[in-house]
Amino acid sequence: MASQPQSPSDRVQFRTQVLTRHINQSHLPPPQPSLLSASICLQYSPPELSEPVDFDIKEMRRLMDGHNLEERDWLFGLMMQSNLFCPRKSGGRVFVSPDYNQSMEQQREMTMKRINYLLDRGVFKGWLTGERAEAEMRKFAGFEALGIYDHSLTIKLGVHFFLWGGAIQFFGTKHHHEKWLRDTENYVIKGCFAMSELGHGSNVRGVETVTTYDSNTREFVINTPCESAQKYWIGGAANHATHTVVFSQLNVNGSKEGVHAFIAQIRDSNGNICPNIRIADCGHKIGLNGVDNGRIWFDNVRIPRENLLNSVADVSPNGQYLSAIKDPDQRFATFLAPLTSGRVNIAVSAVYQSKIGLAIAIRYSLTRRAFSIAPNEPEVLLLDYPSHQRRLLPLLAKTYAMSFAANYLKSLYVRRTPQSNKTIHVVSSSFKATFTWHNMRTLQECREACGGQGLKTENRVGHLKGEYDVQSTFEGDNNVLMQQVSKALLAEYIAAKKRNKPFKELGLEHMNQTCPVIPSKLASSTLRSIQFQMDVFCLRERDLLERFAAEVSQHQAQGKNKDQSFILSHQLAEDLGRAYSERAIFVTFIEAEATLPAGPLKNVLGLLRSMYVMISLEEDAAFLRYGYLTTENAAEVRKEVKKLCSELRPHALALVSSFGIPDAFLSPIAFNWVDSNSWSSAQQH
Amino acid sequence: MASGGSACSEGDQVLVEENSSVRKFLFNRPRQLNALSFEMVSRLLDLFLACEVDHNVKLVILKGKGRAFCAGGDVAAVVRDIGGGNWRLGAKFFWKEFTLNYVMATYSKPQVSILHGIVMGGGAGASIHGKFRVATENSVFAMPETALGLFPDVGASYYLSRLPGFFGEYVGLTGSRLDGAEMLACGLATHFVPGDRLLALEAALCKVNSCDPEIISAVIDRFSEQPYLKGSSAYLQLEIIDRCFSRRTIEEILSALEEEALNSSQGWISKAVQSLKAASPMSLKISLRSIREGRLQGVGQCLEREYRMVCHVMRGQVSKDFFEGCRAILLDKDRNPKWEPSKLELVSDAMVDKYFSKIDEEDWEDLKLPARPSTLPPSAISKL
Repeated sequence: MASQPQSPSDRVQFRTQVLTRHINQSHLPPPQPSLLSASICLQYSPPELSEPVDFDIKEMRRLMDGHNLEERDWLFGLMMQSNLFCPRKSGGRVFVSPDYNQSMEQQREMTMKRINYLLDRGVFKGWLTGERAEAEMRKFAGFEALGIYDHSLTIKLGVHFFLWGGAIQFFGTKHHHEKWLRDTENYVIKGCFAMSELGHGSNVRGVETVTTYDSNTREFVINTPCESAQKYWIGGAANHATHTVVFSQLNVNGSKEGVHAFIAQIRDSNGNICPNIRIADCGHKIGLNGVDNGRIWFDNVRIPRENLLNSVADVSPNGQYLSAIKDPDQRFATFLAPLTSGRVNIAVSAVYQSKIGLAIAIRYSLTRRAFSIAPNEPEVLLLDYPSHQRRLLPLLAKTYAMSFAANYLKSLYVRRTPQSNKTIHVVSSSFKATFTWHNMRTLQECREACGGQGLKTENRVGHLKGEYDVQSTFEGDNNVLMQQVSKALLAEYIAAKKRNKPFKELGLEHMNQTCPVIPSKLASSTLRSIQFQMDVFCLRERDLLERFAAEVSQHQAQGKNKDQSFILSHQLAEDLGRAYSERAIFVTFIEAEATLPAGPLKNVLGLLRSMYVMISLEEDAAFLRYGYLTTENAAEVRKEVKKLCSELRPHALALVSSFGIPDAFLSPIAFNWVDSNSWSSAQQH
Repeated sequence: MASGGSACSEGDQVLVEENSSVRKFLFNRPRQLNALSFEMVSRLLDLFLACEVDHNVKLVILKGKGRAFCAGGDVAAVVRDIGGGNWRLGAKFFWKEFTLNYVMATYSKPQVSILHGIVMGGGAGASIHGKFRVATENSVFAMPETALGLFPDVGASYYLSRLPGFFGEYVGLTGSRLDGAEMLACGLATHFVPGDRLLALEAALCKVNSCDPEIISAVIDRFSEQPYLKGSSAYLQLEIIDRCFSRRTIEEILSALEEEALNSSQGWISKAVQSLKAASPMSLKISLRSIREGRLQGVGQCLEREYRMVCHVMRGQVSKDFFEGCRAILLDKDRNPKWEPSKLELVSDAMVDKYFSKIDEEDWEDLKLPARPSTLPPSAISKL
């Protein structure tokens, strides 16, 4: 035996020790439970005491949240200090989160009560009647902060303010504004938004509800002609809404004028359903049970002529259809353009949910240990495993990138002009799809990274998956939206080529320059340079756009029409949509980075940017499929991902602290999970 | 030795009594209502740090001599120092005091503070952060800083913001006084013990020989009673307080209160309105922001932020209200301060922002709090 002592004296000592232990042991009383409890088990050690902070967290938060910080903090405080938001003590801290164990009906009533509480505190003041840009930014900030608490709360508010309120603002004219906006802001009426039908979702122009003008009574008559025309998923309709915007085909004097929006009352002020309206519930859902989604049927519902939201088209009292925009396609596009606000909201909120998931999973990984790598050594912190870093840190980098992109999207929306509508449509579609997909993936990874603890509703991460799954579907199915992005890029390409003019929209200006060249050997410093990163993204987008255009025209040459050709080229369309999105997000990252002076904040953002690019290169097979990178390049990229993981590791805590999500809105496993799971805590419930 | 050897001299501003397992610290400046001098704060910090590593010490008791527990920081002395041309001397005081507050908040052993008298400003900071706060029928609590052109500091943005509803905003902005029953009701005190039982309580605590908070709490419970809230107590009107003090801005809070005052004859509402109108507008705005931010921060972050703020206050570049307040209340005592800016609407967001920014001056440093042991009790961990 190698460990046996060699010298005689050592051997004597060794024997004595063995004997002493043996004798003492026999005198020991049998182990008592009290001895077990006195032994020191795993201790929670707060990461704040050991993890370094190398940059100014407040500055980072300011950069990420971007605007209305004080407003956000006020809202967080409003929620934390009211019992309506279900504060619960755990591990010596207070956490706020809805009680998802309540029935669907109870959850719906709680959502409404919370809204009334916020209303009483003046939270919505000016949301619809305030100065536009300022009010819109405040509204965004409000949604982001409230959304950190609960998705049902923001969706219920979103339906009322963004969809119903937005429809009045954007589709209506002065008299609609005067009649409805103030009452909406004060919740004198509760609005909803009846667009989707059982048979038509993304294809709004196909809705089957019919509205006919009756010039004798000067009224419109709304009808649900068949079951597939029932309005479906209408948030607020099942329990609370008193009014709705109805999307419907308009018939005037027997001619079909296309989809228009009308205001109809569906309940009286006592909450009774109005005559000729039928409403049914959509039932229990995989999430968002605090929102009362319903179905509506209209049976010859008569509404006054003034209830047509007439910003783009009107019907005169004697039944003349009037519109300044002759082309129905264009009319429809103009009509719907302002509704992008919903998509902007969804995109932004997806990023915040990813932040919640990552903050919880990363904080947990900085306190939870598993397996020792050497005998008698303490077990290893989860985040000290390179594999665990590889799971979470690239998602963290992407979330940072998308956070900057979300800020860009908001400012693009708020500064909108009729000319920027197309850009907003493309950017919001691309970001909405990309961020919401990213969010679901992030939440799943974070859930798994928390192990069993991730399954507890109180720990939020797992539950959020159900709550946010809907984001990839509502306000435009993600796949449909991404196809629209590729379609818009193609249109831009064809227009530029046809007129032989330079590209000047959708960030395609890089197509005017010569094609970038990727060096055959990629040193770490090259991989981390903005120039290379930009080049490689532009190269992919440019090449895919050209391939896509070629494939579509090939199909057309074979006799297929434009739409068929497009449908057949779906693989390239998908690749291109992704290439566009990742390049567009990247550009917003370098713009945010450029605003900072040299220093620790900028340095860590540089690491995150490089991680964002490396992981995008690694994940998209297009780089190898089309040869933008060689297999050697791909190996170098992979090595760089690993290196960046270890370089980002020391910043992990500071990076999630910069998300600005108050502790109370995270969860027990993000903090002292030993204490919050102790026997004495269990006695307090 | 049960009685312990007391080692102190009468001239000391902090007296120390040693018992085998208990250390009693007594504020000994009764004529100044035990106002905290730099010397006291330094001494107390040293004592706390020493006791933390002394395995014999299980429990620390803090009390005041005379009719005050502690009426606050010795602001007059600080103003004298700054008047001498160097606000850095004042900064040194607050650095030390806030460090003490942090050590108390994250202390690994129980601290019992006996609040038999006035507890204001710095006195609150030296007690509320500790584990046990014993109020009596003589307790008078207040954070009166906004009337002085200052703001509730000493980590008040941490503990006020954690009171029920928006009671913390009410207490911190109006400077209203609370009695022992109210302190217990809102959670500023953990126990209420009638004054005539204090000696017996102390004797019992000296015999505990344990640092288990549950055991100590049970001992104090034996001497405690449930006091009645007086009928005029504002705490009974928490709903109104919440409705008003939850508003976004001071202006909105004030107008909500004025509206309430119209429909109510309750004295505390008009008193609150008067206090807000008399307080420094600048102080009110930075105090509200500070409490709101504090609600979302750990105690260390609160103190770091407050240190920046207090340095800005002493530097006087945005407003000199602190000096004006001290002049009017403490020195000339004319109780008629001339605030500048004189009205709420003259205080811009940019001016408020300034107080929360780093001070752009050479060799000025953000507050650096001392490292704490990695094994802290859960109650201390939860404050980080």
